[in-house]
Amino acid sequence: MDRSRLFGLFLFSLALAGAQALTPAHYLSLSDVARLQSLLNQQFTDLESAYYSVVGLTKLGATVHDHEGVCRFLKSQLDPTDVNSVFFAAETSQAISGCEIPVSNETRDILLAAVSEDSTMTQIHRAVSALRSLGLALASQEVVGALTGRISKEDNVMAITLALQTAARLSKQAELGGILEEIEDLTPRLDDLGGIYLQFEEGLEATALFVTAAYSLSDHVDMEPPLKEDQVIQLVNSIFSKKSWDSLAEAFSVASAAAALSNNRFHVPVIVSAPGPATVSHSQPTLQLLVTDVMSQPLAMANVLVESAYAVASKSVILSQAPFTLNDGVFELNFMSSKPTSGYYQFTVAVTGDTRLVANHVELKVKVSTEVSVTSMDLSVVDKDQSIGTKTTRVDYPSKGKSSFTADSHQNFAMSFQLVDTNTGVELTPHQTFVKLHNQKTGQEVVFVAEPDSKSVYKFELDTAERKSEFNSISGTYSLHLIVGDATLENPILWNVADVVLKFVDEEAPVAVQPKTLYMPKPEIQHLFREPEKKPSTVVSNTFTALILSPLLLLLILWLKLGANMSNFSFTPSTVLFHAGHAAMLGLMYVYWTHLNMFQTLKYLAIIGGLTFLAGNRMLAQKAVKRFPAEQSHRLAQYRPVC
Amino acid sequence: MSNSVISVISRFLEEYTTTTPNKLKVVDAYLLYILLTGALQFLYCLLVGTFPFNSFLSGFISCVGAFILGVCLRIQINPQNKGDFLSISPERAFADFLFAHTVLHLVVMNFIG
Repeated sequence: MDRSRLFGLFLFSLALAGAQALTPAHYLSLSDVARLQSLLNQQFTDLESAYYSVVGLTKLGATVHDHEGVCRFLKSQLDPTDVNSVFFAAETSQAISGCEIPVSNETRDILLAAVSEDSTMTQIHRAVSALRSLGLALASQEVVGALTGRISKEDNVMAITLALQTAARLSKQAELGGILEEIEDLTPRLDDLGGIYLQFEEGLEATALFVTAAYSLSDHVDMEPPLKEDQVIQLVNSIFSKKSWDSLAEAFSVASAAAALSNNRFHVPVIVSAPGPATVSHSQPTLQLLVTDVMSQPLAMANVLVESAYAVASKSVILSQAPFTLNDGVFELNFMSSKPTSGYYQFTVAVTGDTRLVANHVELKVKVSTEVSVTSMDLSVVDKDQSIGTKTTRVDYPSKGKSSFTADSHQNFAMSFQLVDTNTGVELTPHQTFVKLHNQKTGQEVVFVAEPDSKSVYKFELDTAERKSEFNSISGTYSLHLIVGDATLENPILWNVADVVLKFVDEEAPVAVQPKTLYMPKPEIQHLFREPEKKPSTVVSNTFTALILSPLLLLLILWLKLGANMSNFSFTPSTVLFHAGHAAMLGLMYVYWTHLNMFQTLKYLAIIGGLTFLAGNRMLAQKAVKRFPAEQSHRLAQYRPVC
Repeated sequence: MSNSVISVISRFLEEYTTTTPNKLKVVDAYLLYILLTGALQFLYCLLVGTFPFNSFLSGFISCVGAFILGVCLRIQINPQNKGDFLSISPERAFADFLFAHTVLHLVVMNFIG
């Protein structure tokens, strides 16, 4: 026993030296626990829901109302022949006080008969638990045999988890080593999600019940479960990441896991959180931390210690090995007593006091905020060529400069000031130090940044001529504001320091500044249709039309001169038809140009053309026939012998 | 130099008027008419502009096509070329001329717009 404990301690410290980086991301806050309790506190309708409700609430440490009513309900609903019914009733009766379920010999025999290799794992688990809760005798070694046989047949996560849970109810003299090894065999089946979550693919209920069973068996045999600390934290993340539960069984599993993880002999995960933001200031000098288990129960025996605290900006160590004091359930440390400058600090907090604590090194970022004040605010108007001495006016925060300053294009307006920490007097360089010039008439605002020099003195200079484009060259009275802000400042400053009258050269007529018209509707675009080309004048066209027709006149004249005539025109029907058809075709061309499309034209053309062709063929043949004898006589005349 | 050109031209004209048959002179007059029409169309295009271009093209192509068909007709009905066109009588040539002109006019009318 002692040896195993020493061994466990050795392993634990070894793991501690390895400085794990994982801390729980999810746990049950007080409101989560309350929600879980209210879910479990529902009115139950049957034995199973009664079991989940009562036993679940007991595990959370909540009170169950009306024990007598529950007991009566159990007795009325009990079916002595059903193993499940007896199991629910027996387990529930153990959770409430003063409830004895009477059991007959038949029931006992039924329960004992259920413990065999042929029953399902669920049956074996329920029978064994019922027998134990009812205080009946049980042969543990036989159970071990049945469990081992059953594991080989039902090799799934739920079955093995139930086997573990059953083994935890058996006598310690039995050979539980084989069953204990199942924890180690089951652990690789967990899925690692992103290094943060570790859960079975069967879901949340399986993971939570496994954790419960593993710790209950490990406590029973007093052997540390083979779960590494990182794995424990990952399991915590998986089980407590879901904040609303679908069923009573799921809620019961989460409650069981929470109870197992906050109260077992080996691993107790620690949750270190700050109530509210981790900010320290002079008005609130103590840093408060809550150190609880996964169910948000405070760990009374814990000692909280700051191992080291260093400033994020300068990496200088402020604190080392400083203890927290327990004050009314909250651990406190007066950080301001170490006189830290404002900024962010990285704390490494260690929780000791119990060897079981897991994830007890926590990294925390603490902000120290302070108040700022503006000192030695000097305003002056400096001549550019420095011939005239500067006149410096000191203005004190929060009052406004009495007279306004005038600067024209030959002068610069200068401002210098210092920002100091009100409490420590140290010079500060906050993130935001702006100088805003606001034109009262036009509403225009121009903002500049004031930069510190090497001695942390802020200087701002306004060159009137150089900067006139930013002001749109609008002269007038501008009110000068100083804006100071930072995450670590508790009192940001907006201070109207003075009024400045700026005179610009080339001043345009002061136009009211329009806000950028980026989002106003733009002028409408009128679509311009393609303009038709310029046509020549009608005179020109008419002239040329006449000109084009003139060769026709010439042709007629020439033909007449040549003696072309229509003397050979025979009025045969084919000739008439041919000429008529030809004229019709020419007419069709004109009609095509004005009215028809190609298809219609081709249709008409086919008809007219066909007729014309036939007529023309006839006519030309007749002409040919007529020509032939004339040619013959013509040829014969040529061959007249010369005598 | 110009002397010889003038003499060549006058000799040519003399030969033309005496030796060419009347039928061919009729066709030649027609060809001259077509030529002048085409030339005038082109002149208009140069002077006034190409708007509307499709109309100009169709008119010009019409003149060119008609001129070519007229030339073909003249060649085919020339009695001196009878040896080359044994299977084509003048009537057949005229019928071809008419058919080709129908197709030409169809295309021109389509394009004239």
